Amino acid sequence: MLSKTAKEQLIAITGKDRFSDAVEILTCYSYDSFLEEAMPEAVLFPVSTKEVSEILQVASAHKIPVTARGAGTSVCGAPIAVNQGIVLCFTKMDKIIEINTPDRYAIVQPGVINGELQRALAPEGFFFPPDPGSMNFSTIGGNVALNAGGPRCLKYGVTVDYVLSMEVVLASGEVIRFGSRNIKDVTGYKLSALFCGSEGTLGIITELTLRVVPCPETAQTLMVTFDELDNTAKSVSDIIGSGILPVAIELVDKVGMNALENALHQDLPTEAAGTLLIEVDGIKESCEREIEKITDILKKNHAVSIIKATEEADRNRLWAARRAAYGVFAKIAPDILSEDVTVPVSKVPEMVRSINSTIGKYKLKGGVLAHAGDGNMHPFICADRNDKEEWAKVEAAFKEIFTDAAALHGTLSGEHGIGLAKTQFLPLVMDEASRKFLTTIKRAVDPDNILNPGKLV
Amino acid sequence: MMDSNIIKKLEEIVGKDSLTTREEDLHCYSFDGTGKAYLPEVVAYPQNTEQVSNIMKLANEYNFAVVPRGAGSGMTGGAVPLKGGLVMAMSKLNRILEIDVDNQIAVVEPGVVTGDLQKEVKKVGLSYPPDPASLKYCTIGGNAAECAGGPSAVKYGVTKDFILGLEVVLPSGEILHTGARTEKSVTGYDLTRLFVGSEGTLGIITKIFARLLPLPVHKETFLVESTSLKAATEMVAKILNANITPRTLEYMDKTAISIVRDKLTNPPPETVEAMLLIELDGEETAVLAQTERMKALFAGLEDFTIKHAQTEEEVNDMWQARRSISPSTFNLRPNKISEDVAVPRSRIPELVEYTEKLAKEYGLIILTFGHAGDGNIHVNMMLDRSDIKQAMAGKKAVDLLFKHAVKLQGTLSGEHGIGISKAPYLTFELDETTIKVMKSLKQLFDPNNILNPGKIFPQTAE
Ligand SMILES: Cc1cc2nc3c(=O)[nH]c(=O)nc-3n(C[C@H](O)[C@H](O)[C@H](O)COP(=O)(O)OP(=O)(O)OC[C@H]3O[C@@H](n4cnc5c(N)ncnc54)[C@H](O)[C@@H]3O)c2cc1C
Ligand SMILES: Cc1cc2nc3c(=O)[nH]c(=O)nc-3n(C[C@H](O)[C@H](O)[C@H](O)COP(=O)(O)OP(=O)(O)OC[C@H]3O[C@@H](n4cnc5c(N)ncnc54)[C@H](O)[C@@H]3O)c2cc1C
Repeated sequence: MLSKTAKEQLIAITGKDRFSDAVEILTCYSYDSFLEEAMPEAVLFPVSTKEVSEILQVASAHKIPVTARGAGTSVCGAPIAVNQGIVLCFTKMDKIIEINTPDRYAIVQPGVINGELQRALAPEGFFFPPDPGSMNFSTIGGNVALNAGGPRCLKYGVTVDYVLSMEVVLASGEVIRFGSRNIKDVTGYKLSALFCGSEGTLGIITELTLRVVPCPETAQTLMVTFDELDNTAKSVSDIIGSGILPVAIELVDKVGMNALENALHQDLPTEAAGTLLIEVDGIKESCEREIEKITDILKKNHAVSIIKATEEADRNRLWAARRAAYGVFAKIAPDILSEDVTVPVSKVPEMVRSINSTIGKYKLKGGVLAHAGDGNMHPFICADRNDKEEWAKVEAAFKEIFTDAAALHGTLSGEHGIGLAKTQFLPLVMDEASRKFLTTIKRAVDPDNILNPGKLV
Repeated sequence: MMDSNIIKKLEEIVGKDSLTTREEDLHCYSFDGTGKAYLPEVVAYPQNTEQVSNIMKLANEYNFAVVPRGAGSGMTGGAVPLKGGLVMAMSKLNRILEIDVDNQIAVVEPGVVTGDLQKEVKKVGLSYPPDPASLKYCTIGGNAAECAGGPSAVKYGVTKDFILGLEVVLPSGEILHTGARTEKSVTGYDLTRLFVGSEGTLGIITKIFARLLPLPVHKETFLVESTSLKAATEMVAKILNANITPRTLEYMDKTAISIVRDKLTNPPPETVEAMLLIELDGEETAVLAQTERMKALFAGLEDFTIKHAQTEEEVNDMWQARRSISPSTFNLRPNKISEDVAVPRSRIPELVEYTEKLAKEYGLIILTFGHAGDGNIHVNMMLDRSDIKQAMAGKKAVDLLFKHAVKLQGTLSGEHGIGISKAPYLTFELDETTIKVMKSLKQLFDPNNILNPGKIFPQTAE
């Protein structure tokens, strides 16, 4: 329990209306999109860096665990306060401070919703490339803390590639700032690399300067179906191998597509063993040329149908189905477990085969979606957690999938993070010295282990 | 001091023929591109990771400094053995271990020369874009340690954008593997990017997993002359915002132009205040389409003349202007202070205006040129150090330049790093708490401060 003194000190910082320890409120902050839940002892809504710093000073003095939280859309348990303590929720630090298109940066508070930033940039003809499926509700702070990715990361890179500068409050309450507004900056250590993706375990992000880029003048999307999953996957590695770099290549298998169609009724290709959604962008002439080349490769791999969408509305319709996937699958069964193992792109066909055979072997309901162009697979399994026997199979299957990915020189997570979900599997891809080293860094920055304890390291 | 006992142990680790203490050899490893020199006590040439690790263990036991060194082309004193000790030369760790064409990855040892890697991957239709001007001799290890950039950064990014993973030997001798062979990985803290740019102070890079790209098949080169520097830098923004993505967007100011004038077949008229060198690359249709757009942007503008190279000779001639700047500067005065501040692109005219003011006030000749596309400006101050007044003026001007760059929301260094040259100025840009955190990382990685000591952080504060 929070001591009376600690509680008073915290309320003195935020005022009563931005502090809560009422059970009905705490419950709202006890879960994310993963399976675990844990009740914090209090939730606070800071509005400034100064408040965050003061809160951390109190937390440090009383050794109270502090878990930052954006929108709580994490799928790995990262924002769950497993050691209780306080949740620092950033929904009230949601201002876009500056957008500067000539110099191509935006300065934001961490609670800004990714989609809000996109909407603010669009009229200026700019965008922020990281586009997690959750972009309409997840926060920039959460995106940075988990180094989120999304479909168009294939061409544009992940969140860390767009962080120019950060303001971070350390466990001690000290505030640090590093980086600048410059794309090129080699002054001192690249601390942004360390804090980006650190899942709130090293410091609390209070301000971000992000790189933004001009919108491409045209984009074209292809929806392609195959009657064999092998050909589907092979097309992916062939396209990348040919030297074309599309914005995105998304793969959906039959199980996934049927689930989508049942929910969305959009005449989706439910018969296809595999479907690819491919987007290219850039200047018009080169888009057309790339589409031609891609079409050749698809035909060589025996594509059954190729539908081309040039109009924005048509493209959006195709993409809406893909973005809806996660929510739809959650309805197939009481629980859905989705992972995001990543393999080198030439191993995509092998990994898809191996995921399918594992799911088949355990007689589970599931399949695979993938940001296939960069090898980021999203195998998913739908099951009922209360069915102990079935759940044991789910866990065994995922363990196999992780092991297979590691054997193919892959990694556990391409974008979702480690959080609670995967800590136990770290040894598969990281040797002991390296793991020990992560802990050493964590200890140096947060000696009392108050920042999001129990995660990542 | 390193006694004969230590030398003997080092010989056991790397072999007798991979170590030297001869004075004339030591001199060769005492300086880098800055010209500052400090003599090491021994130079060792390890041939594998295990030897590197054993040297570090020995260094911890006997407390001697170890300074990793690539080609020694660094511009900020990074490879200079400030505290004596051992220079670890990477010239025998210079193999390209693998080129994985399917996944577009190269696995290399740190001593591989950047240009050699580029040549090898070109043979299989791939490219390694980072192109520091020193690429014919600098090493991938040195590039990684400095996070080197080059003209192509405006389109492709800098070294950090092309490193997927590393093998690193920590000061303790422990061997660490960071990153992955995949494009995306968020498994654990991102140590790869922390080691990149750490100037050999956190660990010794022994293996690099580099990301490759398909080789661009087509190229077009342009030289733009402008009668207004401001109009020229504004044009840079216009080009980039018109969905044109050049691989090179270099500019040079009028002082820079004046010193290369006699090297050009077609020197620009005296009224020209700035020149832009622009190169487009990629797939042919895309390059040609962008060429049309770019010409359209310049059409009818009186301030500008755009020349489009039609032959390889003309291309070389255009590059000649840019490439001759550095060597020609010494015709002006015998000594040079060369800085590489970066500012947000729209602030370039303000920075250049300020350097003109500095030149006037302090009696220096200052020229600016460089990577206009990403705001990374090379400021060369020419002076005669034997004239004590000029030497003092130079020092003062550098001080003011850094202050002004930071005031313009810029940074001390866009690509050369901090090393020893810029360490005294670190506080201009980073506050004390931030420096403290960086130093605590250094302390954490290297508690005995044996790895490349005396770099990055201001000495007084230590
Ligand atoms: C339908 C759906 C689709 C998704 N699609 C994708 C996808 O395509 N790609 C992808 O990468 N992810 C995806 N996700 C996962 C998730 O949305 C992202 O990881 C997102 O970045 C989390 O943002 P958030 O604001 O919800 O953060 P939260 O879940 O609230 O927090 C995530 C982590 O960030 C930390 N954190 C939050 N704010 C701060 C701060 N200010 N300072 C320090 N630490 C902080 C938290 O402590 C926690 O560790 C998806 C999730 C859903 C539900
Ligand atoms: C004519 C000229 C032009 C240049 N042009 C550019 C340019 O366009 N862009 C640019 O960015 N730079 C440029 N430079 C600077 C320099 O070439 C780069 O900084 C380059 O990356 C240094 O590589 P190197 O192999 O010479 O490293 P060195 O100078 O030997 O070392 C540089 C630093 O890296 C460390 N280091 C070397 N190898 C390792 C290793 N294996 N592990 C850990 N640390 C290591 C050293 O300790 C030192 O701190 C130029 C230099 C010259 C002389």
